[in-house]
Amino acid sequence: MIQRILINRLLQAVMVAWGVGSLSFVLMRSLPGDMAYRVAAGRYGQDNVSAEAAEWVRQELALDLPAWQAYLHWLLDMLRLDLGVSLISGAPVIDEIKHQLGHSIELAVMAILLAALMAFPLGILSGLRARGWLDRSLLLLSSLLRAQPVFVIGLMLILAFAVYWPLFPVAGFGQGNDWVLPAFSLALALAAVSSRVVRDSTLAVIHSPYYQFARVKGLSEWQTFRQHGLRNLSVPVVAFMGIQLVGLIEGIVMIESLFSWPGIGHGLAHAIFSRDVPMIQGTALMMGLLFVALNTLVDLACYKIDPRGRPE
Amino acid sequence: MIELLEVKSLSVHAGDQCLLEPLSCTLTAARPLTILGQTGAGKSLLAQAIMGLLPQTLRVEGEVRLNGRSLLTLPMQERRALWGRVLAMLPQEPWHALDPVMRSRRQVSEVHQFVLGLEQEAADQQAELDLQHLGLADALEKIPSQLSGGMAQRVAFVAATAAGGSLLLADEPTKGLDYGRRDQVVQLLQRQLTQGALLTITHDIDVARQLGGDLIVMRRGQVMEQGEAEALLADPQSEYTRELLAADPSCWTAPKQSPQVMEPLIRVEGLSQQRGGKMLFEGLSFELCPHQITGIVGDSGCGKSTLGDLLLGNLQPQAGRVTYQRPFARHQLLKLYQDPPAAFAPGVPLQQLLKDLVRLHDLDASRIPALLERLHLNPQLLTRCSHEVSGGELQRIALLRALLMRPVLLFADEPTSRLDPMTGQQIIELLVEVARDYACAVVLVSHDPVLVDKTCHQIIRL
Amino acid sequence: MKPFLAWIPGLSRSQWLGAAILMALILFALLEGWLHQGDSTRQNLSNYLAAPSAQEWFGTDHFGRSMLARMGDALRLSLMLSLFCVATAALLGTGLGVCAAWMGGITERLLNFLANTLLALPGLVLVLLLAAIAPGSFLVLYLAISLVLWIEYYRVVRAQTQVVIRSPQLEASRQLGFGRWYLFRRHIWPAIRPSVLTLAAFGAGNAILALASIGFVYVGLQPPVAELGLMVVELLPYYNDAPWALAQPILAIFLLILGFNLLAGKAK
Repeated sequence: MIQRILINRLLQAVMVAWGVGSLSFVLMRSLPGDMAYRVAAGRYGQDNVSAEAAEWVRQELALDLPAWQAYLHWLLDMLRLDLGVSLISGAPVIDEIKHQLGHSIELAVMAILLAALMAFPLGILSGLRARGWLDRSLLLLSSLLRAQPVFVIGLMLILAFAVYWPLFPVAGFGQGNDWVLPAFSLALALAAVSSRVVRDSTLAVIHSPYYQFARVKGLSEWQTFRQHGLRNLSVPVVAFMGIQLVGLIEGIVMIESLFSWPGIGHGLAHAIFSRDVPMIQGTALMMGLLFVALNTLVDLACYKIDPRGRPE
Repeated sequence: MIELLEVKSLSVHAGDQCLLEPLSCTLTAARPLTILGQTGAGKSLLAQAIMGLLPQTLRVEGEVRLNGRSLLTLPMQERRALWGRVLAMLPQEPWHALDPVMRSRRQVSEVHQFVLGLEQEAADQQAELDLQHLGLADALEKIPSQLSGGMAQRVAFVAATAAGGSLLLADEPTKGLDYGRRDQVVQLLQRQLTQGALLTITHDIDVARQLGGDLIVMRRGQVMEQGEAEALLADPQSEYTRELLAADPSCWTAPKQSPQVMEPLIRVEGLSQQRGGKMLFEGLSFELCPHQITGIVGDSGCGKSTLGDLLLGNLQPQAGRVTYQRPFARHQLLKLYQDPPAAFAPGVPLQQLLKDLVRLHDLDASRIPALLERLHLNPQLLTRCSHEVSGGELQRIALLRALLMRPVLLFADEPTSRLDPMTGQQIIELLVEVARDYACAVVLVSHDPVLVDKTCHQIIRL
Repeated sequence: MKPFLAWIPGLSRSQWLGAAILMALILFALLEGWLHQGDSTRQNLSNYLAAPSAQEWFGTDHFGRSMLARMGDALRLSLMLSLFCVATAALLGTGLGVCAAWMGGITERLLNFLANTLLALPGLVLVLLLAAIAPGSFLVLYLAISLVLWIEYYRVVRAQTQVVIRSPQLEASRQLGFGRWYLFRRHIWPAIRPSVLTLAAFGAGNAILALASIGFVYVGLQPPVAELGLMVVELLPYYNDAPWALAQPILAIFLLILGFNLLAGKAK
């Protein structure tokens, strides 16, 4: 069963690589001007480009081959993690994205943790007292938050906690508390949805026949909740996390751009803006792989907490 | 005899509406008390009122005394202290009452641990013993979805009584169980009697008969009759009880008429079918003749519906043959469904559906009024949508729709199992008449061997 | 999912609120285009970041362009795009979903493979990559967003259609000899209609969000086009001098998405 999860996700990773690789190839071919000159300019600086250097690049990257051969070369290079050099900075793409990936994972993990810390207690409380004042106010808050793009949430946080009350840096990276605002922006967007999922799930669990039966067996309210509530209510919440990951990844692109956080999302937006195809490919690939990796973790967590569907 | 639980003119109300009219009864040790009534008769409210499980929107009046102590006035905390320890309650649908992600052993051992205060290890051992005692050694490490219905019922029984409650309330303990499993549950309940008292709520006359003791018959929240079970069932006083008993297949008296011998419409030879590596049936051979009713019996999952698909020509047999007297059109081989509302397109007036059918096959619409009368249907019903018509009426409309097509085969898949017994009896009687009056073969699938015995000319057991 | 977002009597109170918000925005977009006839690109550097006045109801931006004209343009753009995307995605996704469930076999497997491949990349990343091929092209954005949106319809419709196809009601009609179109009209469409309409409302919100998002990271439509996300990022540096200007596109995005979310009702 675990093997099946891993194989499925591995296949998905391959699809991501193929999709990103192909789109990047199309992008590369559709760029105006002579590709070889552009690559050479990226590598050796604008002033050092000679016909010779361009010819050398052309040979190396097989740029004069027919399209289908060039396409195969392109994909093979990607498989070997040879992602080329940035057309802008001239640095190898792999080095740049290695750093970026670390920053993005840091942000993603902090956001998920913060979101869980908010969503679970608040969701459970509003589920236990459904239609009470807490439930109603959280519903309103969640509806308002869900109607904001995540960059607007980030913007509000900046205006409030960096400009009006200068508690945190407006943007950038390097101070100890720099992660707080970007991570909170992402976490608020996540928690706005998942707190409602927790709430609905809690409500369903405490009205389920098995919850009732546990009470009737003689367990106290707290024992019933601990033994039968927590795990059962987590099942749909964790499964839903898989759907929310799309939003998280999209949020990372926005929030990193807004806060100039040196992660993959920022890198991707930047690369697209400056049409730096090797960087586009590298960052999109990492973004996709990060998405697949997080999805795999969600699958494994689902498998761990829900024994249904496992072979006997 | 020690008096355990005394209920005095207990009633349940929702606003102005009375859901359960005043009811009094006494529950004593070693003498079972059974409440018999159809779904929606308000009988489950009684058990919930005794436990203190009713939602707050419902109002309870009257008195419930447990060994002289009045329960209804106790604070919730004290009532909960009785749960499991004194009052045990067997849930309606054990599959849903067991925690779906917890192993059977833990569902029992947590009671020993948290209610009786054992160490976790000792609690686990005790739970293991309890479960083994009921032949559930295999089920220890299983979660509910891996248990059969009967096993789940026994695990729920062990868990419900683990805390030592001597007064057992069983709410529809046989709902959804096959015939054989039902008797096992009754034995389980009788065993409980030796240790305390038993209140059973059921819709099943046989369960009431087997349990004996005292019996209360209810209908729509009203007590129709109350007395000693054996005497009451032998000589019912109220009209309702009489009808209820008469609708039980074992009491049917109509004689079976043998149809005249005719050339078979469908011939089945050496039919075998397996599903998921399991043989459903093997080497099945029989013939279906006009005017003849064929019964198919067997527990759930034995391949009754698969056999239906083979007969209707919707499935190719894996081995053997189904041959038809002449090539019949698909719409002459028809089916009646278990759940009538599920067999009609929703949200469209029934007459529109019939009109669609008449147009499609260029049928003679003037037959409809006669068929309506034949099936005792009010023509007004056809102006409604399927969900606005009662199950029994809709099943008759399904029959009408089938007869309009002049069918050769009518495959009735448990056509009465979702209907109350009186309505079910009417449907079966109509099916018998249809077989007599129209030249079609009727196949009646049922889990009830008695019903099939009483109505069918030939019986196939799977 | 709340059933029957369909026709007017079935709407809940919050759905009415959503519909009212959207109607107001649409009305504003239409009336602005009809009556105001301002030019969203005409600069007037001597009158930049002007506060709302009798002349310029919504003030001006950092190039002195009329905010009223720009907001009208941006709203029409967002609404139009969401309409096109949702119509395309709904038609494509519903059609293919029903096909897959009905045909099964190789058709279904191929379509599933296609959907899963597209799902392997987060939607926005896919839209960004496609947008990079032809920067600033409305057509590419429309195609890219529709390409992401149809999958949701496909999956939901396919799952629900499968249930209907296995149901006794369809089996009964099929046995009675009815053809595919009848089965679709009488059985499948009534079952999937509420979901399709709910998804349409959510999808419209998502399309608007996607457009604003790529505008915000500056890789979508290019200046001087008036687009809500682009306007946010352009006006961001002036949050202190002209908060009213920055607030306008933000409020518009908020109201659009809120309106569609409310109209969609409660999701699963």
